Amino acid sequence: MAVTTPAARTAAAPTKTKAPKARRRPLRHRLRLDWPLVVLTLPAMVQLAVFFYTPSAYSIIAFMDYSPYRPLWENPIIGFTHFQILFEDPYFVDALLNTLQFAFAQLLFVFPFSIVLALIMHSVVSTKIRSTFQSIVYLPYFFSWVLVVSVFAQVLGQDGLLSRWLVGMGGERLDIMRDPDSFMFLAWMQWTWKDAGWGMIIFLAALAAINPALYEAAAVDGANRWRRLWHITLPSIRPVIVLLLILQLGSILSVGFEQYQLQRAAVGWGASEVLDTFVYYRTILASNGESLGTAAGLFKGVIGLLLILAANNIAHRLGEQGIYQKS
Amino acid sequence: MANPSSKAPLGRRSLFKAAGLGAVGAAGVPLVSACGEVSGGEGSVQELDQTLDILPEYKEWPLPVQPDLIGDPPNHPSAYLTYPNPVAQAIPNPPSNSGSYQVYVPNWGPSPAKDDPYYLAMQEATGGTKIEFVQSDGEAFAEASVQWIQAEEFGDAIFMFGWMTNAHADFNETVVNRFADISGIVSGDISERWPLLAGRGDAAWADSVWSTDPENPKDTAGIYGVPWALNGGPGNAFYYRADLLAQAGLDVPTTVEELLEVGRAWSDDKAGKWAFAGTDYMSKAWFRLAAGHGWYWDGSGLVHNNERSEFKEWVEFQRTLTDEKLRHPSVGTPGFEPKQAQKSGEVLFDQDGWNRWNDLTLEMNASGENPDFELGVLGALTFKDREPMYHAAWGVGGWLFFRKDLGEDAIAELLDVSNFCASPYGTKEYEMIHFGLQGVHFEYDAEGKPAFTEAGIKSKQDSLAYTAMSGSPQYFLDGPTKIVEARFAFNEAVQPYLDENPFEGLRLNGPESGVNAGTVFDEKVNDIIYGRAELSELDAAIETWKADGGDEAREFFEKAYKQLHGE
Repeated sequence: MAVTTPAARTAAAPTKTKAPKARRRPLRHRLRLDWPLVVLTLPAMVQLAVFFYTPSAYSIIAFMDYSPYRPLWENPIIGFTHFQILFEDPYFVDALLNTLQFAFAQLLFVFPFSIVLALIMHSVVSTKIRSTFQSIVYLPYFFSWVLVVSVFAQVLGQDGLLSRWLVGMGGERLDIMRDPDSFMFLAWMQWTWKDAGWGMIIFLAALAAINPALYEAAAVDGANRWRRLWHITLPSIRPVIVLLLILQLGSILSVGFEQYQLQRAAVGWGASEVLDTFVYYRTILASNGESLGTAAGLFKGVIGLLLILAANNIAHRLGEQGIYQKS
Repeated sequence: MANPSSKAPLGRRSLFKAAGLGAVGAAGVPLVSACGEVSGGEGSVQELDQTLDILPEYKEWPLPVQPDLIGDPPNHPSAYLTYPNPVAQAIPNPPSNSGSYQVYVPNWGPSPAKDDPYYLAMQEATGGTKIEFVQSDGEAFAEASVQWIQAEEFGDAIFMFGWMTNAHADFNETVVNRFADISGIVSGDISERWPLLAGRGDAAWADSVWSTDPENPKDTAGIYGVPWALNGGPGNAFYYRADLLAQAGLDVPTTVEELLEVGRAWSDDKAGKWAFAGTDYMSKAWFRLAAGHGWYWDGSGLVHNNERSEFKEWVEFQRTLTDEKLRHPSVGTPGFEPKQAQKSGEVLFDQDGWNRWNDLTLEMNASGENPDFELGVLGALTFKDREPMYHAAWGVGGWLFFRKDLGEDAIAELLDVSNFCASPYGTKEYEMIHFGLQGVHFEYDAEGKPAFTEAGIKSKQDSLAYTAMSGSPQYFLDGPTKIVEARFAFNEAVQPYLDENPFEGLRLNGPESGVNAGTVFDEKVNDIIYGRAELSELDAAIETWKADGGDEAREFFEKAYKQLHGE
């Protein structure tokens, strides 16, 4: 049996010299090793190429005097005219401001609501109650906006269930479905009913990954329910919260279309016009609409990208992983 | 106008500009120096010329049975009080075809299931041509058609109502670039193969002509669609529940003032009763506002509805309906069905097309739900003792357009079906197209006329499918005798008050700035009507409309008007 003397150990101790870099395998070699993984990603890559990158290339029409009746390459480039038209349009500014209001309201009032829902669900011990409640809360996510808005009209409309009940009791009809001043609140109720369940599922998945031993150890140490929530639960799901927050920031200017379009006649365009409805009414149904609409889409995309990069950068500075691992 | 000419394809400088695009500009930093002009949007005019050589040669299609009440078509259609027995066959020898096609049509009501025997029977009756109809709700269809047509994804043919073309920025340009020119197929004498289409007449076919170069309209004219019904007479109706009005001891109003009084007497918000549902497009005539593009020649120039004092009165009237809770509160909200609200008696008055009179009456007769149910139509109401006015329907109601690259043989085969579908009332073909199959969709009623069964009401009554393939050589009033008589008398009564199209003979697409300004203005007016803005804001909105495009639109329409009338 070989005996290692202290001297030998000293001699064998690693020196402070720079560790040699791992030799990078040639691409061909890596492909030979990893080809099953590459094959697995192929459908996603094809989907991205067909439905994302190829259409993105057509963003060039935002800089063209585009007509669908001539080949793409025959459309003259006119620079930033469509952006100029867009930014000078007072209705675009109104739509942008409305969009930002709705987006921040979603971030502030719907996003945390999903977390709260998930925490409540996580704390329910009975599997039966949990799965029933989960299904009820999650189900509206699969409803179309047409159905959601119709249900709200049937319940909260001026001729809806609640109004009829109020009138029967000698009161007045509810005006919430037609009142532009309270449209934000109405929209919040609709988002919450429809989307909070979906957000909850994702956070529940993150909560399920927390090691139960941590809770047991904390309980043994005398931590009460709130301390466990504060010191174990929330820190454990923080990466997921940050990830979803960053992704949501990326689509901040895409607050939806159908919900606002469907209620436009009832509350007026002033309260319900968002960027997507602006694009629909001012560009899709107007001449030169393709170019102006693409310009508006590109604007949304660029703002989203900048926000994602900024938020991700902040996340990295705060020691979070963000949407990708910082190398 | 076909294939708008390119000014400057990607040149060296353009490429340089293109290379500079991206985040900075898109994020809003104005780079005005790099901006060029945007073409189009200035509006377009097309002449409707009934003397064009390309039109099919008119050959009268003799009616198998003469109508009982003779009117003066198209403004005063003739009518049948009885149903011919036996019913004549319009096309004794159907063609022999085997093609299979897809046709996009709008639809408001339910439609037969894909495997309904109606489709197979129609396939056999029309000569073997199989047509799959792609149907969707009319309002959504109008807007979606913009993208379908530009992307050339509308099957082999698409049917468009005239009003749907407003959703397209420049429909004249769309037509010549996206649809087949069928002049080579239908010009000249077509009476041997398509006798019913030959009997449509010059007015209908001339309204289906577009020119690729508006500067040279005659030489570049082409027939681009199969004309649907040639409109005439009162365009739409303002219905009231005659049975409920009588029960309440109220008289049929003849003025706007009386209408409001009836509305006040009838409405009871707490009890869930409101006098009115839809009123917007019917009520404008009561205030003598112009139909169509909304322009009125005052002797020296064109004045738009928006800037007339009568318009303010109209807005006030509409606002009264809101303020005094005379209008159903769900009007304008998703899911509200005014027809059902009137059927159930929740509302007393509602506007709609003429079909409602027959459809709803037959539906109630078939169900036996309410034997007293009766609809009536208000005449030309007046306001402040002014002259009455009733908006008429003008020109062809719509067109069936074919895909640009559809072969001549395929178009001819579909024209065989159009010819079949052009069969007028009183023929076996009309009966089958409109009522479906006897014993399944309809039965003969006590008057010997076809009447929908409950199954027919559920699947066939409102369905627009083969009915979209063509209009008829002549349009007649038909339905229950009582309604036909009432409608014939109504048409006769409103003849003196029908408005005239100031742009008769022209097809106009206004300039984009005017259209956009009009859209914004209409939104503001809706805000006022529904109580989201005050009436005092109307004047400022009118000034904004004028500055943002209203005056530019006036210039365009005035030029067209003066050329047309030699002013």
